Parts: sequence; structure tokens; C-alpha cells
Amino acid sequence: MNENLFASFMIPVVLGIPITTLTIMFPTMLFPTPNRLINNRMVAIQQWLTKLTSKQLMITHSPKGQTWSLMLISLFLFIASTNLLGMLPHSFTPTTQLSMNLGMAIPLWAGTVFIGFRNKTKMSLAHLLPLGTPTFLIPMLVMIETISLFIQPLALAVRLTANITAGHLLLHLIGSATLALMSINLFTALITFIILTLLIILEFAVALIQAYVFTLLVSLYLQDNT
Amino acid sequence: MLQSLIKNVWVPMKPYYTQVYQEIWAGMGLMAFIVYKIRSADKRSKALKVSPGATSPRSHPHPRPLPGVSF
Repeated sequence: MNENLFASFMIPVVLGIPITTLTIMFPTMLFPTPNRLINNRMVAIQQWLTKLTSKQLMITHSPKGQTWSLMLISLFLFIASTNLLGMLPHSFTPTTQLSMNLGMAIPLWAGTVFIGFRNKTKMSLAHLLPLGTPTFLIPMLVMIETISLFIQPLALAVRLTANITAGHLLLHLIGSATLALMSINLFTALITFIILTLLIILEFAVALIQAYVFTLLVSLYLQDNT
Repeated sequence: MLQSLIKNVWVPMKPYYTQVYQEIWAGMGLMAFIVYKIRSADKRSKALKVSPGATSPRSHPHPRPLPGVSF
């Protein structure tokens, strides 16, 4: 039971070779490059959704911040498509791996911090002290704000990992419980099945929301520094 | 293949890779440094566990009896 529960979080291996890179690159196949002025329906819907999301996300940024539009929209599309593909039963979801999420969070967070220190050094340092702080609290508050700054990439990565992993584990557990209860008590199995259905709907929402939260937080860090 | 890669990827993305993403490259360098540090610490701890010097009886010599003590 224990081995079975975490089997979907193990790196997929084909003939002894880990195919992590192929698995991570798979969602790109679902987003074909638009070649024409008027595209087919699928590409047109993708373009419309991309335009809607990018407007929503980037409208509050300065021109310097808007140069990151491509990066942020790609990030959102990648995490959303990876999470949604993970909803297929028994599939491997790369965003359940902390290593991958840290690999996304650390460069982007560090990029925003370096932009801030390079272009607006005084403003970046000023963010380490909230407005209206009493004088005797300043040293302690600067320390607290510095710690909270360094925790940002960890929080970004762990939030995504924990949400997706926990959701998948719950689905697995409640699915196993439903199956086990079918031979014991059919009514309880039905209740568990309804809970499972609601949980699946929730997991679809969480997949999209977590992608949006990750991207939104990176864009907020960028906004603070540009 | 390299020519089509340059034409389709590098040429349109050149301003991004060279100007816009400079800080992200620096962030990737920081991440690579962190990964290197974690990997080397892991290798070191595994080598210490496996090495015979860490668990040999010579590291804890048998205590010799004090002079003048007889049983």
C-alpha cells in the first residue's frame, strides 16, 4: 500500500533511462506555434486565452516590467498545462517534484531582486523597512524583512509542490477507500464516490489557481523591483 | 538543423536572451551554485558513511589499566 501510494511521484524510467526531460517538454506539443494570421480553432482559443491572461497580469507593470511578459505567460502556460496533464490517472506530474519548482522559483525570484538592486538600489533597500516603523524597532524589522525576502523562493516552490502533491495523494487515498468500501457498504462507497468527484473538480481548479498564484507572485516581486 | 534552430529560436529571441533576461541568467548561476553545494555535501556525507575509517575499532582504543592497579 505504501509503495503503491507514492508510485505516481517517482520519476518515470524507460529501459533504465529517466525520461524526465521528455515529460517536462511534453506540454509544448499542446501549444502549436501560430503560423497564419487567422488560425484554426484550437490555436485561436489559445491565443485568445493568452491575450486575456497577459492583459490581466501585465497591465499594472511599468514598461521595464512588461519586458518580462513573455517569461511570465510562458511560466503560467507551462505550470497550468503540466498540472492539468497531471490530472490524467496514473500520470507523472513534474510539478510534484520540489527540485523542479525550486528550479523555477529561485532564478525568477533572484532575477527580480537583481533587477531591483541594479536599477533602483535605494528603492530595493527601502523595501526592507515598512513605512512608519518606530525607531527602536528598525534593526529587528530589517532583519525580519530580510528573512521574509529570502523565504520568498522557498515559499513559492513549496506552495506549488505541496498543493499538487497533497491533491494527488488525497485523490489516490479516497479512490482506494471508495474501491475498498464497495464490497463492504455500498451506501458509504457512494458517499465516498461523491466526495471523490467533488475533489476532482477541486483539483482541476487548484491546478489552474496554483499556476496563476505562482505567476502572480513572481509578477508582484517584479513590480516591487521595477 | 542548427541553421533552422538559429533562424527560428535564436534570431527572434536574441534581444530577450541578451538584454531582458540578464538578471535571470545571474539567478540561474545562483541556483547552479546552490545545487552544486547541496550535491557536494551529499557526496561528502555518503563518502563518510561508507569509508572504513569512520567505523574502525582503532578510533576507540581499548583503555589501558592504570599503573599500580592489580586484580
